[in-house]
Amino acid sequence: MMRTWTVRAGRAAIVLALLGLVTMSLPMLLTGNPALSVLGPDATPERIEAFLAELNLDDPPPARLADWLAAAAQGDLGTSLVTGRPVADEIARRLPVTLELLIGGQIVALAIAVPLAMASAWKPGGRVDRAGTLASFLLIATPPFIIALGLIAVFAVALGALPATGWRDAWIDPAGHLRHLALPVLATGLAEAAVLVRLLRAGLIETLDQPYILAARSRGMSAPVLLATRALRPSSFSALTIVGMTVGLAFGGSVLIESVFAIPGMGQLAMGAIETRDFPVIEAVIIFSGAAVVVASIAVDLIYSLVDPRTRNASR
Amino acid sequence: MHPVETAAAPAAQAARDPRRAPSRGRIGTALASCWLALVVLGAAASSLLPALDPLRADFSAILEPPSAQHWLGTDAIGRDILARTLAGGRSSLIVGAMTVAFGLVAGGLLGIAAGYLRGVVDGAVGILTDLILAFPALILIMAVVSLSGAGYWTIGLLIGGLSVPAFARLARASTISVREQDYVLAARNMGAGPLRVMRTEIIPNVLPTVGAYSFAAVTASIVVEGSLSFLGFGLQPPLPSWGNLIAEGRVHFATAPWITAAPALTLCATVLSVNVLGQALSKGRP
Repeated sequence: MMRTWTVRAGRAAIVLALLGLVTMSLPMLLTGNPALSVLGPDATPERIEAFLAELNLDDPPPARLADWLAAAAQGDLGTSLVTGRPVADEIARRLPVTLELLIGGQIVALAIAVPLAMASAWKPGGRVDRAGTLASFLLIATPPFIIALGLIAVFAVALGALPATGWRDAWIDPAGHLRHLALPVLATGLAEAAVLVRLLRAGLIETLDQPYILAARSRGMSAPVLLATRALRPSSFSALTIVGMTVGLAFGGSVLIESVFAIPGMGQLAMGAIETRDFPVIEAVIIFSGAAVVVASIAVDLIYSLVDPRTRNASR
Repeated sequence: MHPVETAAAPAAQAARDPRRAPSRGRIGTALASCWLALVVLGAAASSLLPALDPLRADFSAILEPPSAQHWLGTDAIGRDILARTLAGGRSSLIVGAMTVAFGLVAGGLLGIAAGYLRGVVDGAVGILTDLILAFPALILIMAVVSLSGAGYWTIGLLIGGLSVPAFARLARASTISVREQDYVLAARNMGAGPLRVMRTEIIPNVLPTVGAYSFAAVTASIVVEGSLSFLGFGLQPPLPSWGNLIAEGRVHFATAPWITAAPALTLCATVLSVNVLGQALSKGRP
């Protein structure tokens, strides 16, 4: 048990180190000379040299990573080339927006997927199951940005009920904040619900074949109680994996949803930084988001062993 | 967002789910095949027929709704939406084919090597797949495209690279279940080296499982390419792609929704068709 976790942590550390190295070599690798791509072709050799030295872009990637980590340990993630502000401040400003979208989206996804999967699995091939299967197949085939455009077409353009794009600060304009939050959260949630419902339904159908479920039914336990208290937990593994992966990836921001709805989250930060060749911001966002993915995947394994003790000793 | 994993879900799960009625799928499979044939023919026709030139602008017909002359309407400078949608399909098909070719070969070989040789190779491949999955995929591709330019090769190889982990994990799992079979032991006892065993015994037996994932990989690649082009970091205009057609149409979304609707619905129908076919094939196998 202890050994499994040590190996797991060691592997995560190697992955993170490699991620950092690749990220630190991106500016040189992709542009040949990052200074020229920022300063333009007319830059003087002195300016180019000063620029490279300032961002220590001419150091080898391992040295750059070591410098970056040493500074990061003191809370310094670098300074934006465009705004001149600390990258850490920028992330601190953008992250809450992205997290709000993420949490809202997960709530919507689970609120749709869990009841629908239970109803579908209880009577496979029944009316609910057929309608749910059709809907989830159509939704899975629809990329999130098209779902978002569809929601805008219905709720903003045709009905005029909700704003199409934009963002309001929660403290200044709480009602406007919620109205601007509704469509992005719905788009995020719908896209994920379609996948979750398929996985949960499959897991539940497998679980409902077990003898202990038959025993509970024959003792007269009602369907909703049985599904919620007996069947759901052992059926939720693959769904949990997806939720964990989504949460991890979401720290990098949902580039598409944020772009469609013009929401100032991490995704927009990254996109803006790429457009303006703001290397310190790009590097910080990639490393931050990669770390979130690695931590989330370890967290999912930890939660597995809490949800289902049988997996604790299983060798992977 | 992780299309590689999500697109895999329906196909993989359908194979395990014996309770789905098999009869209803017949019509769906036929419809899906017809639609994909149309998309492929349309893409071929758009590069061969001058009447379907996606760049020809008719300035006397600007922002026209669907009519007998322009079946799906025209855009802001009078280009035919049908011609542009068909040409967009060509981009998606090319990128999709490159993705699968690269993902299947690279991912498949890595996975087989990891599953058969185990030990250090297995560990290295595991770390490589974890590393690829840890990168924020869209942001990474956007950075590469923005700094070094976009083209079929860049986009196809990048999206193909992202599909390597899924192919590699499938191939590894499938190899591990095959490697202790009697026929593999027999080949080894007759003196076949690892390379020969992998080539003659493992690859033929692993290929069907891993190949079946190609359908999910194609849909994922169409979605990612569409997303990138929509954001402006994929294939660049005037080269039409479903994603950048949708993005162009957004400006006139309220007044001329057909510009956005045609490529968007075509993309969804194509992804749906590939999913339906993939599921039908995985159900048909013993």
